[in-house]
Amino acid sequence: MTPDEPATHPAATSGSDVSTPPIHLRPAVEADIPGLVPLLLRLKRLNEEFDPLLKVRDDADAQSRNVLRAQIADPKAVVLAAEGVGADKNKVVGFVRALVRERPFYSPEFEGVILDIYLLPLYRRRGVGEYLLHEASLALKAKGAGVVTAEFPAQNEIASRFYAKRGFRPITAIHARSL
Amino acid sequence: MADIAAAPHPQHRVGRRRARSAEEAIDKRREGETDELGRRAVELSRFYGGKVETVPKVPVRSMHDFSLWYTPGVAKVSRAIEADPELAFELTGRWNTVAIATDGSRVLGLGNIGPAAALPVMEGKALLFKFLGGVDAFPVPIKAASPGEFMATVEAISPAFGGINLEDIASPKCFAILEELTKRLEIPVWHDDQLGTAAATVAGLLNALTFTRRSFKECRTVLLGAGAANLVTARILLSLGQDPHRLTLVDHKGILHAERDDVDELSVRNPWKYRLALKTNGGGRTGDLARAVDGADVLVAASTSTPGTVRPEHVRAMARAPVVFALANPEPEIWPDVARSAGAAVVATGRSDFPNQVNNSLIFPAVFRGVLDARAKSISDEIVVAAAKELARGAERRGLNAHHILPTMEESDVFPEVAAAVADASVRLGVARRRLSHDEFLGHARTLMARPGRLVRTLARAHLTAPMPRGSIGHRRAT
Repeated sequence: MTPDEPATHPAATSGSDVSTPPIHLRPAVEADIPGLVPLLLRLKRLNEEFDPLLKVRDDADAQSRNVLRAQIADPKAVVLAAEGVGADKNKVVGFVRALVRERPFYSPEFEGVILDIYLLPLYRRRGVGEYLLHEASLALKAKGAGVVTAEFPAQNEIASRFYAKRGFRPITAIHARSL
Repeated sequence: MADIAAAPHPQHRVGRRRARSAEEAIDKRREGETDELGRRAVELSRFYGGKVETVPKVPVRSMHDFSLWYTPGVAKVSRAIEADPELAFELTGRWNTVAIATDGSRVLGLGNIGPAAALPVMEGKALLFKFLGGVDAFPVPIKAASPGEFMATVEAISPAFGGINLEDIASPKCFAILEELTKRLEIPVWHDDQLGTAAATVAGLLNALTFTRRSFKECRTVLLGAGAANLVTARILLSLGQDPHRLTLVDHKGILHAERDDVDELSVRNPWKYRLALKTNGGGRTGDLARAVDGADVLVAASTSTPGTVRPEHVRAMARAPVVFALANPEPEIWPDVARSAGAAVVATGRSDFPNQVNNSLIFPAVFRGVLDARAKSISDEIVVAAAKELARGAERRGLNAHHILPTMEESDVFPEVAAAVADASVRLGVARRRLSHDEFLGHARTLMARPGRLVRTLARAHLTAPMPRGSIGHRRAT
């Protein structure tokens, strides 16, 4: 996940004006799946760079379609599609995928988990990532979440910085070893 | 300039097969020559036991003089430097000494052969440093397990040196190493495969564009190969006014663009390339070299040493009277005669046996002469550009033509001029410890760069270097 990666395309506007992002954000529908799958796979392949235990499966393409189809229909999940503007109108240039998870032992009782935020490189560094996070948080809150969390590879320092800057702190850690 | 119009631009396809088999015959012959040079180099390396040695620069009239050059006299010199470390640049040879540091991870076209096997190449570089630049250079191959260890080692040995020349380090780690060492050290750090090649390339391009009446602003430029040299060439071209939308980089995966499959991986592994992926290739071309060169004015190939990587049809697809640099060594991506008969107006390669050699040796001895004479603290892109522009002016003074867009190695009067331009730039940029006038820098550079030639001839005349033993290649050229 690299929503905060440096990008200096001449078309890019500077600053991070959340109020006028160069995208149109809306809940994803089934027809978006062909456009969403390549973006989801790009993100998972990026994760692979950080740890061999995040190796992308050969059937990840089909899995992506299944997961997206299920979550678009799932009232507990949030899938937002970001459409480009101008030449990229009607093209999905980014997305956020999240779901509401119950916390049986802790309060607040429901946690909104950001699973993926992905933006095509030319849409980075323009405040769009922040806007996606903001809108997803609102949608999760509307579904009852009292806390929002984000999952990403431990080695992804760019994602770490992105969330830290926006008030997130590590609360649990997942450590792994092969079996 | 008349020969631009006269340059053939054949559209016909007749005789293509015959041309290709002729190319193959040429390839075979040139391969044979390269093999013979290699055999001879091994023979001579054994005969001389390496290529450089240290020679005293002070008189030694008797053993008594060692009380001056060594203890007890030298203690006072050390005390002086202890009190003022900058005095090391006056009281020792530090002002004129550089380390040629490598981890052996990307040696010539040989790849990752390790530090020990890199030594012959570093010795050769030290010889060039001395002979062309009057610089005392020490080959320093470093056995390092990581870039961090390599950098720590270079930093640790830096008190002995007035500059660091990084050599033959794999891309992309070479970018991080150069950036980080430039930050950490108070002496110039140079990576020849990035900065040297880029400076020589840009010098050639400046004149090739003048000669073909083009400017960076309007030029559609394709860089084939996205390694150390071309990523820096791209950066420098952009600083000189190249329109990023009209610049396209191509590597073994095809055209580099913002939505290429590996672009996220690049953002992590190679941010230098990633930034160019976002910035360049306006119009969003995708695909292979053929798509990239369509209508391009300039092609700079710094990729793999395989003739045929650039095909005549690639050149034919370019704009009228295009500029083609095929810089892979030992064998260019396309042979110059092939590129010219496909319509190229100006062709440059990395080889000395063709016109327009884009050669690091045109740059690095002079750059180091310049920064060492100014006792510079660092090297930046502005210094690289100053060197490139002065080198270009050097060729221009003798007159530009399709076969002379760069000075040859024989036009050695240009090198002190480049050195002085570099020293001037160091002063202008505020990184010089010693601020002299242009004429003073030029005078120093001329003296110091002329001396090694006399030294080598004198040593040979006095039979202090053995004459070159007989052999078809070395003997013929050893005069």
